[in-house]
Amino acid sequence: MRPFALNYARPVREAEVSAPYTYDSALQLNLLPDGGVAARDYAVLRECAATTSTAGSKTHFDD
Amino acid sequence: MTVLILTSEQDVTADLAVVELNTRGIPVLRLDPAELPGSVEVSGEFAHGTFHGHLSVAGRVVSMGGLRSIWVRRPGTPAARARAASPWLTEEASQALYGMLRCTDARWMNHPDAARQARHKPWQLWLARNCGLPVPATLITTFPRVAREFAERYPDLVVKPVSGAHPGDDGLAVPTTRVRPGEDYRDVAHGPTLLQRRIRKAADIRLTCVGDRMFAARAADDNDAGDGVVDVRFHSDAGPWRPVPVPRRIADAVHAYLTRSGLAYGAFDFAEDADGMWWFLECNQSGQFGFVEIETGQPIGRAVAEWLAGEPFGPPGPGDGEEGVSVCPAP
Repeated sequence: MRPFALNYARPVREAEVSAPYTYDSALQLNLLPDGGVAARDYAVLRECAATTSTAGSKTHFDD
Repeated sequence: MTVLILTSEQDVTADLAVVELNTRGIPVLRLDPAELPGSVEVSGEFAHGTFHGHLSVAGRVVSMGGLRSIWVRRPGTPAARARAASPWLTEEASQALYGMLRCTDARWMNHPDAARQARHKPWQLWLARNCGLPVPATLITTFPRVAREFAERYPDLVVKPVSGAHPGDDGLAVPTTRVRPGEDYRDVAHGPTLLQRRIRKAADIRLTCVGDRMFAARAADDNDAGDGVVDVRFHSDAGPWRPVPVPRRIADAVHAYLTRSGLAYGAFDFAEDADGMWWFLECNQSGQFGFVEIETGQPIGRAVAEWLAGEPFGPPGPGDGEEGVSVCPAP
């Protein structure tokens, strides 16, 4: 009784990378420890894969 | 007039637009419906034939009548983090928040009704074809016999979820995957199954649309798909993504798609074949764009901010490349 598509399911290899930034409610932005804006630091964004096409896929399916 | 952004705090992709709005001094209210009730508060009064609503988060209070636009980016489920969280409270919070926001004159990216409709993949395929986009032969069925016959006509198939959703909380996903030769299709009877003729990809195309603006990016496909997975999202070495012009015929068809679907934002996925034809795969009404902006330099976050502001921000600065918005004649 297994749907056909599930025969092609596989584990998601989502690395649980801890984001090196925290949300600042005053600026309504995520900031790095040095106070810089995380969105301006592409190296950081690449590192934590927070903007990839599957980011947030656990809760949203609009990749 | 304020821009309302509904998303989670950790959504750093949203930051790409918030930065632009902050720089221009355009008021922003960012909140996650998951925090309602809690740190997010809402109030609306219907009296004497008028409606007055207010939203509050982190000490900021905004009149709903003062909203210029609403960006439904990656909002959490309403009331998900409430102390007394329950399905009933989620429905209550959802009705209160979204019901009141529907009473405003704000522009939506995207309106919930348009978003809900746009998530249906069968409808996407139908609309894409109607708008003139090439669509691979596709079958969605619960009849094993029909699946077998389709496989006889199109021996090289892929399977993917109808909804695009992952199966559950057990860490499993169903990437777009080639159907194994000699497959037994009896299990098709146990769930609607989407089978599609495989396009021999030369490249993946992500076309991000913000209002009338288009940003196309291309990633050459040199993955040998030894595991059968042909889904670029699951290739860790995919890319690099490079900006490419949009064929005029595709641009016109995509514009028609957006108009008919009522979407202000859409992230289209295409498979480019060896002849350079772009085959429509899907349109994600809230698709990620940060990875494209980072790799190509295309100013998508800025374009989102401009759309939300309802005004252009002036000439782009250094690094704000415009390569992706160009359109080329049809081949």
